[in-house]
Amino acid sequence: MYICGTGIISPQPSFGHGPFLEEMAEHRGEEMRCIEPEYKDLLDPKLIRRMSRIIRFGTAAAMDCLKEAGWNSTDAIITGTAYGCLEDTGVFLSRLVEFKEQMLTPTAFIQSTHNTIGAQIGLSLKCHSYNNTFVHRAFSFEHALLDAWMLFKEGQADNALVGAADEITGYSQAIIRRFGIYRKCESNFTLFEKGQKGTMAGEGASFFALQKQAGGKEYAKIDAIKTLLLENPAAGTMETEIQLFLSAHSVSITDLDLVLLGYNGDFSHDAALHHLASGMFEDSITSGFKQYCGEYPTSSAFALWMAANICKNNSLPSSMGGIGLEGFVRVLIYNVDLLGHHSLILVSSC
Amino acid sequence: MVMEKLMEDLKTQIVEQLNLQDVKPGDIGNDDPLFNEGLGLDSIDALELIVLLQQHYNIKLLNAEEGPKVFYSVRSMAEYITTHQKANP
Repeated sequence: MYICGTGIISPQPSFGHGPFLEEMAEHRGEEMRCIEPEYKDLLDPKLIRRMSRIIRFGTAAAMDCLKEAGWNSTDAIITGTAYGCLEDTGVFLSRLVEFKEQMLTPTAFIQSTHNTIGAQIGLSLKCHSYNNTFVHRAFSFEHALLDAWMLFKEGQADNALVGAADEITGYSQAIIRRFGIYRKCESNFTLFEKGQKGTMAGEGASFFALQKQAGGKEYAKIDAIKTLLLENPAAGTMETEIQLFLSAHSVSITDLDLVLLGYNGDFSHDAALHHLASGMFEDSITSGFKQYCGEYPTSSAFALWMAANICKNNSLPSSMGGIGLEGFVRVLIYNVDLLGHHSLILVSSC
Repeated sequence: MVMEKLMEDLKTQIVEQLNLQDVKPGDIGNDDPLFNEGLGLDSIDALELIVLLQQHYNIKLLNAEEGPKVFYSVRSMAEYITTHQKANP
């Protein structure tokens, strides 16, 4: 699948195709919220008033992606989200209790469903083609990508707008905080300081204009995707799985220019990733990506955006050292969450 | 005077309930149409206005066909509220 456009709203100044992660935005505390653009210039003002934050940044990211690709419509809109539109879900449920299940307002209910973002994109484009949303925890984005892959294979689509969105809300933080997952960081710059317990919550929306065939505008290619649900895999399991994944696509570890690993700053979570970085990836450039976007279930979409732009620019962003990459670029993304969702995405330049 | 106060309250409640971001209560004329060429409200807003009547004035709009007449303007809403509050004090 070829990437010919991206659109992203993240905790970094990433919207609108400006300088690519030239400087890392700093966030303090236990969460990294999106840096959002002025939506009035991007979305119909009549629609904005009903949209919660995730719908705004999801739809705006999708529109920016289409703009870069030069598309007015698409054969498929495929979205991944783990939590869906949490803010409106919270509003709806609070009113349900407050008004004793009577007099419920329709807007919060309509906008609280997981497929609202995909639906709003479809409505904005007046696009009646295939529209699907995957809600598969930390595989939501990967399964959206796989769906596009299968549509292309089966000849049901030649192009697809694929993306992911998840948001931080007061409700979600209050609930998830009780599991002891987060820590109050002095700065996301020091998220990976060794020996720390907990991570920073993140959020964001990333969309990709994908084509079955190369058309001249593409700048990166998704070569392969794999998901594995493995809670506490035995020693050596992931090394074997990564070797199998790469060899199935005739790629060796020495072919990789960069490995983006899903470190989140929690020492127990990151131990296995440090082991890989100093072991099988010893001779490769490795880097985390959650210091930019925080930990959230569809964060691999942010990593894919990074990988696509690294392929486009043939270099790492300045905030990662600005190292130039010669010729053909190949990036492996390996993300893993606390529940054992492991995903591998292989990306290369065109 | 009571009618004027009711219309001012309604304008504030409409702006809040419908999250009309660039509209202030004072921008809405008493006789301005709320739908189509006026404030540009739509069918989802109509449902929100029905809930507004229930929540704030304990009035249920039982006949949907009355909707366009009741929700034509702030004045028509205020007249409907006044009539029904007198009928069901």
